[in-house]
Amino acid sequence: MPSRRFLLTVSAAWVALGARGNAQSGDAAAVAFVQSTGGRLVGVVNGPGSAQQKRQALTQIIDQVVDVDGVAKFCLGRFWRQASAQQQQRYMDLFHQVLVTNITSKLGEYQGVRFTMGRTTPSGDDVAVDTTVLRPNNPPTDVKWIISNSAGTPKIVDVVAEGTSLRLTQRSDYASYLNHNNDNIDALLSAMHNQVQQDLASG
Amino acid sequence: MRVFFRTALLWLTSLLMLGLAGCATPPPANDPDALAYYNETNDPLEPFNRKMYAVNNALDAAILKPVAQGYVAVVPEALRTGIHNMLGNLHTPVQLSNDMLEGKPRRAGDTYMRFLINTTVGCLGFFDVASKWGYPDHDADFGMTLANWGVGSGPYLYLPVLGPNDPRDFAGFGVDIAADPFTWVGQGAAVTALGYSRWAVTAVDARSRLLGSIDNIKKTALDPYATFRSLYRQHRQSQIEEMENDNRATVPVWFPQPASAH
Repeated sequence: MPSRRFLLTVSAAWVALGARGNAQSGDAAAVAFVQSTGGRLVGVVNGPGSAQQKRQALTQIIDQVVDVDGVAKFCLGRFWRQASAQQQQRYMDLFHQVLVTNITSKLGEYQGVRFTMGRTTPSGDDVAVDTTVLRPNNPPTDVKWIISNSAGTPKIVDVVAEGTSLRLTQRSDYASYLNHNNDNIDALLSAMHNQVQQDLASG
Repeated sequence: MRVFFRTALLWLTSLLMLGLAGCATPPPANDPDALAYYNETNDPLEPFNRKMYAVNNALDAAILKPVAQGYVAVVPEALRTGIHNMLGNLHTPVQLSNDMLEGKPRRAGDTYMRFLINTTVGCLGFFDVASKWGYPDHDADFGMTLANWGVGSGPYLYLPVLGPNDPRDFAGFGVDIAADPFTWVGQGAAVTALGYSRWAVTAVDARSRLLGSIDNIKKTALDPYATFRSLYRQHRQSQIEEMENDNRATVPVWFPQPASAH
């Protein structure tokens, strides 16, 4: 039945075209998203205001643009399923604070930061957007932003600096800590708590 | 340099033998999660490796870090960049031979042009003019070459002085020293002294470029040893992938280009 085959071919072509169109508009959206997010971050880092004000502004941006819950779950790996609901809640709170303090503790180093946009490549279901981060007195750094569109709006799910993924590194850090503490999730939570307290005291 | 090379090898092999005595026991098969973690980290020498990590940290705190800090404080930025460029230029023979062994003619061409341009216009390699002229730098060493030939990395290895490693990269390190003409060229006290100074300056240069990052990792990681292990592997993996994906065509621009090369 040629007509059926013809129909199949046409519909297959339409699906392929549609998918391609979607991927392309997804890429453009991801690039625009990284450009505007990068611009906002640079604006806060290089802008006026006290460390406290900058911390607040950055927390706000991070909440909007990073899929914090998704990253947090990824970093806990198999222990997420083993954690009680209460432990999960506490972990989420602490992870959020650790993420913000880790970023804000580097504020001083990033004074005068600029970035340029690079190419865009697919990365699994997500889109990887390349940028080059330029800091005074430092060699240029290649930073790849992994953008997921699964929630409907673009969100950052990973940052890959010079080939090293932030979430993979964080996950292996937690996994090793748990491995050396009898897989005790409460031990991890108190270690994270101490970390946040120390950062707040020193910064 | 030859004597140095021989003693270093002897010393490191004996350390490795010692390391085998410090093997971790794999978890029992009835604990699949723990077993999966054990296989994933691929670090059967972890007890030995952690000891060497502690040794290196002590050495670093006592010697390398203060020297690197002093270097940054005393030597201006422009001069440090120039020294870094010169060290890279001296490394050309090793880089070029590895580009060729990896079967990457365009990379070999980049390395060759970099050497020609930077040694002349760049004042013996002090200025990296070649990067601005379209011949960017890239990584090439015999560990990467072995990976390109299909050799697996083997288990994680933390070596004194050398730091994060694996058998493949350690073997590559030895081959690169042997392949370096400066290891064999010349005789006499002056040449030996120059050889040692080059290694010392290379170490201080590398450490000075990592002053901020290493402090940051130690501050933010709950288990810095595991974090460095993960970072080392990811970084090596990305260098190898970048090399393997570099398949630029060798057809001259005035020839009809093959379809894949745009």
